[in-house]
Amino acid sequence: MTFDAIGIAGSALTVHRKWLDAVSDNLANMNNASATSGPAFQARYVEAAEGSEGSGVYVKSTQLGNAAGRIVYQPDHPLADANGNVKYPDIDMAEQMGALIIAQRGYQANAQVVDRARETYMAALEIGRS
Amino acid sequence: MTVAPIAPVQGVLPTSYLAGVDTGAAPVAGTDGSAFATSLTGAVDNLQQLQSTSNQLAVSAVTGNLDDIHTATLAATRAQVTLELMATVRNKGVDAFNEIMRMQA
Repeated sequence: MTFDAIGIAGSALTVHRKWLDAVSDNLANMNNASATSGPAFQARYVEAAEGSEGSGVYVKSTQLGNAAGRIVYQPDHPLADANGNVKYPDIDMAEQMGALIIAQRGYQANAQVVDRARETYMAALEIGRS
Repeated sequence: MTVAPIAPVQGVLPTSYLAGVDTGAAPVAGTDGSAFATSLTGAVDNLQQLQSTSNQLAVSAVTGNLDDIHTATLAATRAQVTLELMATVRNKGVDAFNEIMRMQA
């Protein structure tokens, strides 16, 4: 493809966008209570892998986190079992916020790469002009 | 009286003064002049395709059918850089043509 730096950075932008989606999904469902008999919400993680022949990066698969969740004693909760326990997803908010920042910075860095690549190509076109 | 035909020019022979020096210059083969036109036409076709991709993505961006915002902006950037490249190559070609047209003895 012509102007490959733009395409490579574009693939990384897509991966980081999907990571942002996964983190936002995890944060949105972080406080879902469920009955102890069923599974808890499983955190979503994207698995990134390098593309063939330096074509950038792509999302290879999405992995699901722990379904066991954490058991919390809340006897007055409508979903509580006989022992007064409910299940919450096993998601660490601080970890997700850290991932959110890394995903955002990665996205911004690759957006910068696109801009710099464009400036570089424009400089190449200025060679010999005037 | 008979007029002898003029012998065609056979190319400039190297002078004996530089006989021992390797100038490194290979003889230039003549072309039919279509190479530049072909490459320019190919570049225009490529540019047209990039611009139409960019336009389609712009339409999907404003109608809400786009997953990734950056695909639209990347396509626009790519089309813009390619357009600049095309214009530069075209200008260089026209400049060379004009320079040749200005030649006079």
